[in-house]
Amino acid sequence: MCEIVWLVGVCAMMGGTALRAEDFFTAKVEPLLRQHCYECHSHSAGKMKGGLTLDSRSGWAEGGDGGPAVVPGKPGESRLLKAVRHELGDLQMPSKKPKLADADIATLARWIELGAPDPRVQAAAAEAAWWSLKPLPRAVETSVPRSSPAGASASPIDAFIRAKLDAHGLAPSPEADRVTLIRRLTFDLHGLPPPPEEIAAFETDRAADAYTRLVERLLASPRYGERWARHWLDVVHYGESNGLGMDRPRFEAWPYRDYVIAAFNADKPYARFVQEQLAADALFPNEPALIPALGFAAAGPFNQSALVEQVDGTDCKRLALNLDRDDMVTSTASTFLSLTVHCARCHEHKFDPISQRDYYRLQAVFAGVGRAVRNYDADPRLRVMRTTLSKLIAELEKNPAAHPPAAAERVELGRAQIEWEKSLAAQAVNWIPLEVEKVSSVTNTTLFTRLDDGSWLASGTAADKDTYTIRVRTKLSKLTALRLEVLPDERLPMRGPGRQDNGNLHLSEIRLSLASVSGSSASAPALLPVAEKLTPLALQNPTADFNQAGWGIERAIDGKKETAWGIHPQIGKPHQAVFELKQPPALTNGAALVIELDQLHGQHHLIGRFRVSATDRALPVRTPTLPLELLAKLARPESERTDAERKQLFDQHRLVFLKRQLAELPPEQKVWSIAGDFAPVRNYKPFKEPLPIAVLRRGDLKQPLATVGPGALAAVGTLSPEFALTNPNDEAARRAALARWITSPDNMLTWRSIVNRVWHWHFGRGLVATPNDFGRMGALPTHPELLDWLAVQFRDGGGSFKQLHRLIVSSATYRQSSVAADVRRRTGDATDLRLLTSAATIDSDNRLLWRMDRPRLDAESVRDALLAASGRLDLTMGGPSAMQFQFADPNKEVSPRVDYAAFDPDSPASFRRSVYRFLFRNLNDPLLDAFDAVDPSLSTPSRHATTTPLQALSLWNNRFVLRQCEHLAARLEREAGTVEARIDRAFRLLCARAPTPAETALLTGHARQHGLASACRVLVNSNEFLFVN
Amino acid sequence: MLGAPPGSPTRRDFISQLGAGFGSVALASLLHESGLLAAEVPASAPGGRAPHHRPRAKQVIQLFMLGGASQCDTFDYKPELQRRGGEKVNFTVTGGTQASAGPLLKSPWDWRQHGQSGRWVTSALPHLAQCVDDMAFLMAMHAPTSEHSAGQTMQTSGFVVPGFPTVGAWVSYALGKLTDNLPVFVALPDPVGLPWTGKAAWTNGFLPALHQGTMLNPAAENPVPDLFAPKSAGFVTAASERAGLDVLAQLNRAQLQPGDSRLEARIASYELAARMQLAVPDVLDLRGETDTTKTLYGFGDAKTEPLGRNCLIARRLVERGVRFVQLWCGSGLAGASGNWDNHGDITPGSDFERMCVRSDRPIAGLLHDLKARGLLDETIVLWTTEFGRTPYSQGSKGRDHNGNTFVSWMAGGGIKGGATYGESDEFSFRAARDTTMCYDQHATMLHLLGYDHERLVFRHNGADRRLTDVHGQVIREILA
Repeated sequence: MCEIVWLVGVCAMMGGTALRAEDFFTAKVEPLLRQHCYECHSHSAGKMKGGLTLDSRSGWAEGGDGGPAVVPGKPGESRLLKAVRHELGDLQMPSKKPKLADADIATLARWIELGAPDPRVQAAAAEAAWWSLKPLPRAVETSVPRSSPAGASASPIDAFIRAKLDAHGLAPSPEADRVTLIRRLTFDLHGLPPPPEEIAAFETDRAADAYTRLVERLLASPRYGERWARHWLDVVHYGESNGLGMDRPRFEAWPYRDYVIAAFNADKPYARFVQEQLAADALFPNEPALIPALGFAAAGPFNQSALVEQVDGTDCKRLALNLDRDDMVTSTASTFLSLTVHCARCHEHKFDPISQRDYYRLQAVFAGVGRAVRNYDADPRLRVMRTTLSKLIAELEKNPAAHPPAAAERVELGRAQIEWEKSLAAQAVNWIPLEVEKVSSVTNTTLFTRLDDGSWLASGTAADKDTYTIRVRTKLSKLTALRLEVLPDERLPMRGPGRQDNGNLHLSEIRLSLASVSGSSASAPALLPVAEKLTPLALQNPTADFNQAGWGIERAIDGKKETAWGIHPQIGKPHQAVFELKQPPALTNGAALVIELDQLHGQHHLIGRFRVSATDRALPVRTPTLPLELLAKLARPESERTDAERKQLFDQHRLVFLKRQLAELPPEQKVWSIAGDFAPVRNYKPFKEPLPIAVLRRGDLKQPLATVGPGALAAVGTLSPEFALTNPNDEAARRAALARWITSPDNMLTWRSIVNRVWHWHFGRGLVATPNDFGRMGALPTHPELLDWLAVQFRDGGGSFKQLHRLIVSSATYRQSSVAADVRRRTGDATDLRLLTSAATIDSDNRLLWRMDRPRLDAESVRDALLAASGRLDLTMGGPSAMQFQFADPNKEVSPRVDYAAFDPDSPASFRRSVYRFLFRNLNDPLLDAFDAVDPSLSTPSRHATTTPLQALSLWNNRFVLRQCEHLAARLEREAGTVEARIDRAFRLLCARAPTPAETALLTGHARQHGLASACRVLVNSNEFLFVN
Repeated sequence: MLGAPPGSPTRRDFISQLGAGFGSVALASLLHESGLLAAEVPASAPGGRAPHHRPRAKQVIQLFMLGGASQCDTFDYKPELQRRGGEKVNFTVTGGTQASAGPLLKSPWDWRQHGQSGRWVTSALPHLAQCVDDMAFLMAMHAPTSEHSAGQTMQTSGFVVPGFPTVGAWVSYALGKLTDNLPVFVALPDPVGLPWTGKAAWTNGFLPALHQGTMLNPAAENPVPDLFAPKSAGFVTAASERAGLDVLAQLNRAQLQPGDSRLEARIASYELAARMQLAVPDVLDLRGETDTTKTLYGFGDAKTEPLGRNCLIARRLVERGVRFVQLWCGSGLAGASGNWDNHGDITPGSDFERMCVRSDRPIAGLLHDLKARGLLDETIVLWTTEFGRTPYSQGSKGRDHNGNTFVSWMAGGGIKGGATYGESDEFSFRAARDTTMCYDQHATMLHLLGYDHERLVFRHNGADRRLTDVHGQVIREILA
């Protein structure tokens, strides 16, 4: 009966509104899908058998492995229908269950015939109702609750908090005492304990504005930026190594860290802070000092072994590139928008109105950048000089006539050319071929053939590793330098000069020896074999015409068999290396020499064709930097040159001259950052223009759907997600557009996100408890009106962090006692006792803030506070990171070795603040690890604060901690006379208060028996040191 | 808590030096430990989550062959490959380090069938060949990557990108602890060095730090970081340890605050730390092991003893209630020869053979010993690697990476010995039938431990994260 009514209804509305058809779906079709299909094909079940989901429109539209499940209007072509009709062979749905009733199948068919109306897509798109996506109220609408007992003098924050407490029958706690307040504020704003002198001054400061002045003093100190930058670095997952299998150090990452510290200290407006991190190069091209801000999107892990070592086109490389962009998108959306857009990489976001299209549009924003060491000049004038010179050189190299020099320049060039020619003449080398007597290989599988030009070709089975031994004679009476040429040949892979598949070679070590007959050969019986003695001749100052990146010629004489000289990618061309002799020997005519060439890298990195020669020219002897043919011209006197030769030499010299000018500029600064253009590293090269980005079905690279351009999120209804770009191939313009979109005053997510983070960092929990997720899987705001009020205040007040801090820390809410019992102790009022009881039952975890929370010191604060107490804290700011470990990097192919236990805690690096420690991703400091320091593989919006036996062991036994205990004991002995006075000072330094008589007795007793350092060790391990009231 | 004693630490030394204090508490507990372990596993162990169904196993040993162990020369017998060695076949190369495929390389090792199950194993693994009836083989494992670190991260955490909790961390999160004396999750790196991703190979990811794997380094002065005060801290004496902890406890008790359990938890953490100081040296003190046992693990032979020692320690850890032991064979940081990444040579005399010898006897010994002691019934042993290798050659004697197919095996608690699931194609180039991924293996492991992998979740940055992401199916065919 119902069925009929429905079908009639549907038929009746065929020409009417689509709404009714959607009702049909909701009432009839969806229940069927839910009952029979969702078990294996839905996000709610977490299953997508055959790649198919049916709990969203896009699910059936894209379909599964067999293609779209439903073709609207065409039941006959819809796989869903065929499957339930058992018309697809083995694919009989529902799987392993009885066939659907005919009526149900008819319903499905009817629905498809009607064009498969499915309202679920609109439900996802029309999410304006979700709290975080609602536009921010206009400033006039953000009214502060009035009826609160807090009174007119209270801060608006307190009014919001109290209104909520009132509603739950709760009351706030009284203000904490002065000692508690100064310790709380100093750890909160500086990450350090207050010095005893400052505590005393604040305790006795009776002025009405004592607290305000304290706050101002703390905010004005550079310690503030160091502390708050660390919070930011947690969120952006800043690390100083690549992570993954090649955890290579990033020695150029720190300028981003310094940028963040400086930004906080300078109270950089938030919109500007965001814009600089995403697109400083595009938005502020005249402020090159801002380039380090671009370290933001490059801060995460980098899969070097896939991106750098693998050739283009492999699945691994494509996957790695995709995931590399994913990291940038995820970081951008989590950090600035508190959204989990990365969920939409594989499917429409299950919970939030983020489509796959949105996600891939964000990927397209970053489709033109790589992660690389970017060179920059903080001084814009220097930048201009450098770019002008570089451009001129590049153009002259292409066309020497492009920019004829002005008259004055021509005179200067002429003068310089005379000097240049003189110096070149002085460098000319007469290389004498060495007469090869014998060439052999240790593996015996390599055959050597002498070619007409005196070079030798290696053939036969290429061994994995080999050493060639070349015995030569020379008529030179003195030998100052040796030259090894490696030459191309058609018979070698990729024309050589190496025997590796890619034409490369790796010369691990070269050794030269003088062969002489041992003993007195003249007197020896002629028939006895003559023993030969080899005297090694040390080599120095090696030069080569080309060095493979990371495989320089110096590695061929460094005594390490695992390092070598290579020539990739300059294959198929001749190369040469020149080695000076440290102590050029005098030779008898026809002296015999032995040259050994170790090629121990493996995988057939062997020399394919070579020639050796020597000279007796006075040192220095270097590989020439000019083409040989040009050198020949230079050898002739000026008067005998043709005009063409003169011009060629003039042009050549002009380039040399300009290049020297360029080289003499102050060196560029470097930062690990995103970059559209950068120096290629092996197989990792800049993209000439942004890569095309397609929506990927199920995130699978093999299933690309439509290509998308750069854009933002449709869910932010106040802004257009489309970017109007004049040149869509300008990758920087894409980032600039995204930065503008994020920092628009109308982007409600941005402003809510950041004020919530700041609240979180002050209180230990945000008004939204999930600072990276304002979606449906995240928490709801406990005080939505307060959040909005703060967001509007912050946005309209110019995005000043310091103003926001002032607002928050001056509130009575922030200044409350953290001790639950204080409510009662202070008043002795029975009403308050009741309130306390209800507080503990209604809101035991203090979400409504009826007291202050008691945070445990985070990892960096533990370490820094120990240094502050021991008196060893080094407050030097900025610069390359402090390596607080023993570092060894014997093999640049893999991760370095990092040993924290062996590090001397009295090394200068040990005393720097923790924000400056070098952050290895895979090899974190065990001490800081034990205190929940972040793993910068992923964003950490909120730190854990665990208590574990390993943490107890670390604080009790760690070498650094124990050494600080000794330093602290020595300081106490310097600064106080009696044991009692020393214990008193130790309490003030570590716990910010004087000990009770009982505590004094306990600790002095211990100190007398076991030493002051042992007493310090106890105090350092106390709860009071580790927690902030 | 003592400074590290000179020489090899022994349990007795510690007990005699500790005398009173927390040490004696710990000692009492230690002596009762076997009794504790013999008792029924509680429905939800301390710190754990209630199981979803009755568990078949309660502990796991994960053996990781780092570098990509060649299935073509160990377990995946392909007559076609043996017959057509040297022939050029047109493979579509999708991963690895070479752009094109070399000729087919037949395995230079002898293939033979072993055990009741008739499992094919090469002569490279003579001891493991004796255990095949206890092992269930996944013959068509595959990975989405042929790159070391991503492959390793995939097998250890189920994701190709870093930052996700590793299998051991999930097991810790799910099952909680069996003992207070040792960490729940212990990692034993190969003595030659750390895996590709260093300590990230046993990270807790976004799970709380207590689920992180604790690296045990038996040869170090401190086998666990900061287990004892370093010798350099001259002021630390046995007496100051005892008295100091006592004073600390008094201070901390006096400062307790109502409603803040963390303060009490910290007091307890020092007691637990003291127990760990006794238990760790005890685990590492192998003097009580008989010569027969040691021989079983390959002691007395420099080629097998290093891994044999770790395998024996793994058994002792499991015996003492450690939930999850992750044991590494091969290092990513020791250069090209310290692992299974045998690009250059898989023939006798090669690094491949050295890795086989290094692990064969010790792992077989571990299986035998666990079985003999009745521990195998409730312990899952899981042997894995980041990916397989190509049936075609790289150079003349080596094999390249191949994520398309590889072999993994499981044994012990709830696993059907002698079972085989899946099959690769005729050359062992690509997984062909009943293919599996780490998700399925991890789902199966969690199933045996009593958990439904789809219901074991942790909310992180907007998603209910699972060990198995959105994948995984329990491989019923290999369940006993």
